Amino acid sequence: MQSTPMISLESVTKTYPGESLPAVDRLTLDIAEGEIVVLVGPSGCGKTTTLKMINRLIEPTSGTIVVAGRNVLDVPAPTLRRGIGYVIQQVGLLPHRTIAENIATVPTLLDWDRRRIDERVDELFDVVDLDPAMRDRYPSELSGGQRQRVGVARALAVDPPVMLMDEPFGAVDPIVRARLQDQFLDIQRRIGKTIVMVTHDIDEAIKLGDRIALLNVGGTLEQFDTPMNILREPANEFVVDFLGNDRGLKRLSLISISEATLEQGPVIAPSSSVEEARRVMARYDVDWIGVGEAGRLDGWVPGSVLEGRTNLEGLELLRFRSWLRLDSSLLDALDTVVSSHTSVAAVFDGDRYLGMLTADTIGKEIIT
Amino acid sequence: MTATLISLELAFIDWGWIGGHLDDMWRATIEHIVLTSIALIIGMILASLLSLVALRWRRTYGPITWVTGILYTIPSLALFTFLVPIFGLSLTTAEVALVSYTLLILVRNVVAGIDGVPADVIEASRGMGMTERQTFLSVRVPIALPVIIAGLRIAAVTTIGLVTVTVLIGQGGYGVFILRGIRRQFATEILVGTLLSVILAVLVDAALAGFERWATPWARRSATP
Repeated sequence: MQSTPMISLESVTKTYPGESLPAVDRLTLDIAEGEIVVLVGPSGCGKTTTLKMINRLIEPTSGTIVVAGRNVLDVPAPTLRRGIGYVIQQVGLLPHRTIAENIATVPTLLDWDRRRIDERVDELFDVVDLDPAMRDRYPSELSGGQRQRVGVARALAVDPPVMLMDEPFGAVDPIVRARLQDQFLDIQRRIGKTIVMVTHDIDEAIKLGDRIALLNVGGTLEQFDTPMNILREPANEFVVDFLGNDRGLKRLSLISISEATLEQGPVIAPSSSVEEARRVMARYDVDWIGVGEAGRLDGWVPGSVLEGRTNLEGLELLRFRSWLRLDSSLLDALDTVVSSHTSVAAVFDGDRYLGMLTADTIGKEIIT
Repeated sequence: MTATLISLELAFIDWGWIGGHLDDMWRATIEHIVLTSIALIIGMILASLLSLVALRWRRTYGPITWVTGILYTIPSLALFTFLVPIFGLSLTTAEVALVSYTLLILVRNVVAGIDGVPADVIEASRGMGMTERQTFLSVRVPIALPVIIAGLRIAAVTTIGLVTVTVLIGQGGYGVFILRGIRRQFATEILVGTLLSVILAVLVDAALAGFERWATPWARRSATP
């Protein structure tokens, strides 16, 4: 499993001229092929400096950086950079060139022929899901989210094995950001690049990173591990503070419902008697009862409406307001639990009822 | 009342003279355009070189604007007078003076235009593997073009006005009409020289504005909602 890393930083130090303390201090990181490593930390932790040393926008003071088996200092900087995708927060599209020309920047630098460039641009419009009508527009005519996608398409143009992304989703509003992040993960699942990303947002790091490198002011590495391991076992006080006091909830966001144990819950068949309903309600200690059978969950009724009845026929069922799918996270489930009348989250696979989660069962998932 | 005033003033104009000198006016127009163009072309070349120096060695920008600023403030009449003993009553004298007046405006606009290119665009260009030269020629200069052309427009309008003064050192152009009109106390000729100069300035300014729109289509479109 442990193959040669795609990117390897070996005791890399950067001290800016006129500064006594280093911005990055003896940083050693190995990044495997196809993984997303997120550099995260407070401002002044050297995360952007680290990123820019990989494509030589900043030269290290000492140490070695190897990308795809080659020491970056042995490759002329422009040649090196043409082989590494680069995405920045402000995108930096060339305002005087059309969207198609922007995406074609690196292929043009590499003297690809016209037809190959056109074909590649078409492909990339598809990859990042951009309307081909945008081809001949200028960047100023696009929305922030569209520009960001053009920036990603441009970085992917020559299909580089490595991508560097500096706060790529920092300049768009939260709703667009969440959508771009999901789309980014979706693209990454298909293309499997080795990605180094910088962010100051720990939630973004947890959501996107296969591994997270947590840096402290002065460019020292505090912890380098998977999001789950960092949340479960923070290495020190700094990491605990940086993760914030909702570490448990953040962990829930990483666990999908499919990993949790569902319980059948207080559900009875429509043909059941009220007596049966009372018994199930007592067992689960709830004052409502779910109605359904054979992989269906039709709805629920409060216990109070059962007064003076013998069966459930003709009762008007209340619907479960939010339904969860298997790929939702336990955090979504918890949100459903606390915002529903019944204090449970019903889980469905398509139309099929799978079971439900309660605050108790969700809590158990973090403790184990 | 107004109508009679206008008709009175129009009465000063010797329409017959104008009709008889259309050839002169055409020749003067060509001369005026040639004098202006030479000044602008040389001025643009010199200003580009000075700007390159200023951009490459930042500390020279202060002294460069200081010297071109001094040149800009010298009264044109005086400058021509100083230059005559050196270059005589020649085209050279006229152009040296005209070029000096364009430098400050052009250098300032070229430097401001190049400096005004957003830092993120430069960073992305370098990050994608453009060499410094490619970044300068295919990113910085094209993006600076609207600001550079804006400077060229001001320089052109200023120069067209100044060219009328070069008649004093024996050059042609619309100044010929103005000077001769003053000597002969002939209002029509002064008016014709002045008006033609103004019209030319307006036309050249409009032409350069049109060129800018044509050359920088990206600068006028803005975000669609």
